[in-house]
Amino acid sequence: MVVNQIPFEEFHMLLHRQGLRVAIGPFNVCIHTSYKPLIEQLYLLYSHYRITQDEIAEFHVRIVTERSLRNPFKRNIRFLLDGQSPFESFPQEQALAVLEWGINLAIAVRVNHLLLLHSAVVEKNGHVILFPAWPGSGKTTLCTVLSYQGFRLFSDEFGLMDTQQQLFLPIPRLMPLKNESIAVIRNYLPDIVMGRPIPNTQKGTVAHVRPPEKSILLSKHTCKARWIIFPKWIADTPVKIEAISDSEAFMMLASNAFNYEALGATGFCAVADLIRSCDCFKLVYSDFDSVMEVLHQLTNET
Amino acid sequence: MKLDLPPHCQILLNGLTNPACLTRYCDSDWELLIRMARRVKLLGRLGLLVKEYGTWDQVPPRVSTQLTSGLVQVEKLQQLNRWELNRVLWALNDFDTSIIALKGIAYSLAAIPHASGRLSVDLDLLVHQSDLADIESLLVVKGWKHRPLSAYDEHYYRVWSHEIPPLVHAERETEVDIHHTLIPLTNRVKIDPKLLFDAAIPVKNSTIRLLSPVDMVIHCAVNLFQNNELANDLRDLLDLHDLMVFFSERTPDFWTWLIDRSNQLKLSKTVFYGLYFSQLIFNTPVPGKALVRLHARPGRLKLWIMHRLVPLALFPQHPDKPMLSASLARLLMYLRSHLIRMPLYILLPHLIYKSLRKIRFKSRKSRS
Repeated sequence: MVVNQIPFEEFHMLLHRQGLRVAIGPFNVCIHTSYKPLIEQLYLLYSHYRITQDEIAEFHVRIVTERSLRNPFKRNIRFLLDGQSPFESFPQEQALAVLEWGINLAIAVRVNHLLLLHSAVVEKNGHVILFPAWPGSGKTTLCTVLSYQGFRLFSDEFGLMDTQQQLFLPIPRLMPLKNESIAVIRNYLPDIVMGRPIPNTQKGTVAHVRPPEKSILLSKHTCKARWIIFPKWIADTPVKIEAISDSEAFMMLASNAFNYEALGATGFCAVADLIRSCDCFKLVYSDFDSVMEVLHQLTNET
Repeated sequence: MKLDLPPHCQILLNGLTNPACLTRYCDSDWELLIRMARRVKLLGRLGLLVKEYGTWDQVPPRVSTQLTSGLVQVEKLQQLNRWELNRVLWALNDFDTSIIALKGIAYSLAAIPHASGRLSVDLDLLVHQSDLADIESLLVVKGWKHRPLSAYDEHYYRVWSHEIPPLVHAERETEVDIHHTLIPLTNRVKIDPKLLFDAAIPVKNSTIRLLSPVDMVIHCAVNLFQNNELANDLRDLLDLHDLMVFFSERTPDFWTWLIDRSNQLKLSKTVFYGLYFSQLIFNTPVPGKALVRLHARPGRLKLWIMHRLVPLALFPQHPDKPMLSASLARLLMYLRSHLIRMPLYILLPHLIYKSLRKIRFKSRKSRS
């Protein structure tokens, strides 16, 4: 059963009463909220997720509304993980962004049975491409374009790696575009479903892109990685892709992971094996068409 | 008096004390168990129990991944703790003093069963008060720093507390808590650290020392029933249980020594609570005559009240349905812990300061 197969009223009831359980990649997330505007947004943006009411959920999250301390006439929303509040309250309009950040945070701090790389991940021809990058490098924007142009979305944020089998696990979540990227993507991909832009968040204006239905449908299909590409968007530069050394790739990948250190030797061996089995590149680009060309060339060579 | 626990607490307790029953747990029991165990820092412990009992393969996959995550976290924190201790001992190598390891790291060094499943975040050490200033400045010279503190907090640590403000090395994250005694100085109950140092035990191939077994048990009880607020402190009561089971099996006279020492240190009431609740909740085999030999014991009414309140505070709340009675128990335990920790003329300004700061902090947060 998928979210868009149940009527809105039932969806509303689930979120309000026992909590809605959806499969997001390898995890089940149980979401509780009674905040109607959020429920409406989720009904649209979560429409392809599988409902898993009878299964164990790893994450139990809630968005609750509360009165603002400074302005008693205003209401704020708060994110709760297992009843605990990891951050302060936010204006109501930001409910969706806060929910998404909260789930990311929960994954990042709790999951240690997988290696968590900080990377966008897509698949083509049965092979995974990793795009590890720091915030602000444009990886979400690039990932959005790729996932609607013939690549299968794994994640715009988490490279989830099963270290024993060297496999990557898809975790297709909403892709939060920031600031200028919102208009850029609207123009480039006019048909995709995107949530309302949320202004004044910690990261400026954010709008969430719904992941492609097919990527969610295939989210149990794991793959091995073949390419690691460190992307950087720089205005008005011609596209350039160049190979980098394994050692450089290792340092960049390991120093930008969520739980590399916590995994100790397991993490070290996993990243070393990963680098050995992949071709590593640096990519500079400014327009999507030329990037697509370069990537198609790269993936079809094999 | 019997233990009367709400059903969700029973799920946690059975899981921790009787791994055999876990094979009968349904998915929703498991889900609740994992959430509550994590809340009271016992997820790693639970993972270790399931592994030891050999039923890992029968656990639902969505549970075993979470247990693995818990175990990885525990292992990493213990490694960081060991490394921090190594660095502290290195930094103080030329300084002639004796240092006692406390709590988590001490349980590992003493090879207490299940210590490898304990979530230990900070490194706790006990030093001589007379060496404290030298040790602190040596560590600061070698790269440890205090976190920024308000003038009030600085005063709190320096004048009233049993430890100095936490130290963290610039390149690492593990907090080092250096104690000069085991009970806050404002507490009516006092302890003479010299007695602890005199009885301390060396560790093989290291300059670090450990409290003697009975002192280790007493410290654990003191921490729970004198220093802490008890909310979600089930892990610490389980530590106490582990310590007593381990030492009493190895040392025939353990109980006699424990009682004598508690009486000598004038901590018999605190130790009474430790023995009482460890036995009540974890079935620790405390001999009946041990309790009677303690010089100070709570009166019947007081014990009846504590019997009602302590388990409700120690066990985690149901994550979706918090109970009012448990919230009340926690509030009362919080007040109790402060009342015994400080005289009223310090306590009242302290609580006012803390509440004001909380409000200011909250409004600053919501402004930013």
